[in-house]
Amino acid sequence: MKCKRCRRAEAAVELPSHHSAFCPDCFFVFFRRQVTEGIRKLRLLAPEDRVLVCVSGGKDSLVLWDVLIDEGYETEGLYIDLGIDGYSDRSKEKVLAYAASRGKTPIVVELAKEGIPIPEAARCVRMQECSICGTVKRYFFNRVAAEGKFTVVATGHNLDDETARLLGNLLHWQRDHLARQHPLLPEADGGLVRKVKPLWRVSEIETAAYGFLKGIDYVTEECPMSEDATSLVYKEALSRIEDRMPGTRIVFYQGFLDPSNPLRKGPEAAADGNMAREDAPAADALRAAEGDGEGGAGPPQVCVECGAPTYTETCSFCRLKERVRKARSLRVARVSR
Amino acid sequence: MYNAPMITVRLPQRKKELEIPGPRRVMDLLADAGVRPTTVIVTRGKKLLTKDHRVEDGETIDVISVVSGG
Repeated sequence: MKCKRCRRAEAAVELPSHHSAFCPDCFFVFFRRQVTEGIRKLRLLAPEDRVLVCVSGGKDSLVLWDVLIDEGYETEGLYIDLGIDGYSDRSKEKVLAYAASRGKTPIVVELAKEGIPIPEAARCVRMQECSICGTVKRYFFNRVAAEGKFTVVATGHNLDDETARLLGNLLHWQRDHLARQHPLLPEADGGLVRKVKPLWRVSEIETAAYGFLKGIDYVTEECPMSEDATSLVYKEALSRIEDRMPGTRIVFYQGFLDPSNPLRKGPEAAADGNMAREDAPAADALRAAEGDGEGGAGPPQVCVECGAPTYTETCSFCRLKERVRKARSLRVARVSR
Repeated sequence: MYNAPMITVRLPQRKKELEIPGPRRVMDLLADAGVRPTTVIVTRGKKLLTKDHRVEDGETIDVISVVSGG
């Protein structure tokens, strides 16, 4: 099969959703254009931005960092060591090796040192690991960005991630979650840094192909704590639909992002009439940053424990940390009895 | 007894390795391995293979899942 762009070289990547196939050189051009177009369309980044790229060692985040560096953005990487035996060490190695290859040193946050390693936290509070991980990561993304004077936080969520989340939100009619699902969450009062997902137009297979062809050595093993993640069920359903009807995912997501879509405006706004996403209240961003089920009316407060923006007296991270601390002391007390 | 060389299909994430007689197209090898083509990239050394690529006996390919969860 020949590349459909240059029509000379042998194709290495087939993309039925784009009715296309590319040789490595033409695929690099195509992929970067997809990402930069996604950034431009939704005004995710400006040339003067200082970007904190959250890197896990997986393909998506390292590819995102690679593209942003090549596009000339000022970037630093943030790696959060989740404290998962073996897996976290191997992920960190990949991040450090990639960063070194680009002359960078990532910022590293070790959750064990912060007193909240994910496996122990999950045992203590009996919550889903992915849910705990999300709360903790969102907290540190924002804290490190605010402390380091970054103007924006970028994560490697791709089209498959976003459509899986969209399907889950639709199946459960999570109207408040639908209202705030977007590749751009604007900055908000109280110290909440803007958050963007520049890979929203590219699929997992595209980021994997880009990473492989660019020689980026990423972690291919899955997080051992995500085996039962519901997002995988939604991903599989969408992937089967995509097999039969290539291009469905991007149509699904772009249709959802259309500013005229009432689902994206929340129950109150939908009743009130039109409101473009760009004008969406900063409260959306805060609710999203603070995690599910939290949020409220009025201006955000400051967490009495850590000073992070929140709608409650204590932020979700500090509440989680306190629950872990209490459960840990109970265990110690039981053991010593 | 002489064992004819076959195609080696490695699936590192499943910790699995298969020997399949060639020549076979990548898409046929994936069907033999029970893998949906849109969930993986297939590589041979530093080369990325398209699904219609013909693999010969004696060659080794890696099938890498691209699906991440969590």
